[in-house]
Amino acid sequence: MIAISSTGIGLRGPHLAAIVAAPPAVGFLEVHPENYMGGGGPALRALEKLRRERPISLHGVGLSLGGTDGIDQGHLERLAGLVERLEPALVSEHLSWSIVDGFYLNDLLPLPYTEEALDLLAAHVDQVQTRLRRQILVENPSSYLSYRHSTIEEPAFLAALAARTGCGLLCDINNIHVSGRNLGFDGEAYLAALPADAIGEFHLAGHSINDVDGQEILIDDHGSEVAAPVWALYRAALRRFAPRPTLVEWDSRLPALPVLLGEAAKADAAIREETGDARAA
Amino acid sequence: MLALRDLQRAMGRSVLGHDETSLADAIVGEGFAPGPRLQIYRHHYEISLTEALKAIYPAICRLVDERFFGYAAHEYIKAHPPRRPCLHEYGESFADFLASFPPCRTLAYLADVARLEWRINASLHAPSEPPLAADAFHIVAMSDYPRLVFRLLPSLGYLESPWPIDRIWAGREEAVDLGEGGCRLEIRQRGEEVVFARLDEPQFVLRRALLAGEWLERAVAEALVADPLFDLAMALRRLLGEGLVTGFSLASDDSQTSF
Repeated sequence: MIAISSTGIGLRGPHLAAIVAAPPAVGFLEVHPENYMGGGGPALRALEKLRRERPISLHGVGLSLGGTDGIDQGHLERLAGLVERLEPALVSEHLSWSIVDGFYLNDLLPLPYTEEALDLLAAHVDQVQTRLRRQILVENPSSYLSYRHSTIEEPAFLAALAARTGCGLLCDINNIHVSGRNLGFDGEAYLAALPADAIGEFHLAGHSINDVDGQEILIDDHGSEVAAPVWALYRAALRRFAPRPTLVEWDSRLPALPVLLGEAAKADAAIREETGDARAA
Repeated sequence: MLALRDLQRAMGRSVLGHDETSLADAIVGEGFAPGPRLQIYRHHYEISLTEALKAIYPAICRLVDERFFGYAAHEYIKAHPPRRPCLHEYGESFADFLASFPPCRTLAYLADVARLEWRINASLHAPSEPPLAADAFHIVAMSDYPRLVFRLLPSLGYLESPWPIDRIWAGREEAVDLGEGGCRLEIRQRGEEVVFARLDEPQFVLRRALLAGEWLERAVAEALVADPLFDLAMALRRLLGEGLVTGFSLASDDSQTSF
């Protein structure tokens, strides 16, 4: 189990040796299972060693839960094998799709929020939870577009998915901020529409602000420190939902490990302060 | 309204780099047109796959320089979109692609260096198995030796090239005499890293044949072609001593007995 007020970090290959040599005092480590599906090797052995000391979270990017190709049975079996081997405290995936006609598009592509998509998602989440014999968390995506024919707001879609399947939600605060700015919705209103009981984890990460043809667009590149408005939204989430295991992700332009640990320490401080505020109120 | 399947096919075509006009009408475009929004996904697809190839092929990237690598990767990704979500499994055919990529025609060794890097990558993710003890074959009657079939370390790989690809891989090609001849390499995990070493021809052909699942008798026949005085007993001691054998079975034409 991961303590609800714990903060973890995303474990990336370049940091692996440093983390094995001197395991940092973090609440948990999160990895993408797709990087460990070769069946063995030094990285998987290191992970098996690390999991004896602290909880591991498997955060998948390859199941294509919203894909109309259906769940790739081979991939699901490989994930099930890792779940059995590593006994992670959390298993999560995304509200997105990434495979069509057998092509893996290597991105978390946006879904239209329709009854058709909800039925498909619910069936796939059921299939995955049945095979893994456990609950998974589903993460809200960062989006750069939305579809005209969507009929359901994203948080309501997630709430319906959780209600129908019993899955939990991974609430990515940076993604809410990024999508909110790109698509024009309010982050706090989004939080208010999420079902509190279903939230099992928070994610924090950096994004970049880009100018495209004079228009500002935020890109969820996980390549910098968590931005001030995201910290503010995280604190709002802590006040609304109380703490959950919180993960700091950093993928591109990966800094030295202490920088990432510094971000995790900031999340710890926010939890302490906001929990105090809640008690005072 | 686009059905989900049609929408995903259209989006797929767009991400893969084909113009996709049917999708534009389905996308909310206020403030920022659908085209540039779709371009973000297309851009991410290409950049992230280029980075994945760079991670597997760092020596190729160094040899051809980063800009040219980006161009080659762009062309490769266009011709060979990934089929699986594990990116360490993406790029197996990059060596074959480079071999027939016209701008690389003068770099004849490049494809073999890429094959070496792919082999290193594959070894890095292979499971490990405990090696058999040195006396493991004592239970096998001498008369059964010809039909021994070995199971070897899963991370093992063998690669032969007319170029000194190990030296090219290790340093800048200008420092390597391309005329010095080729090499036969054995690649494997050792401890927490992947290592490779040169083998002489008889050892190489024996081990490569055994890894391919050949009976010992047939593998030895290949080694004897390379060296009529090939010392089998010594070769087997080395194979076991280096921890490469993890199991064996006795083959027959219609069945195998595993040990």
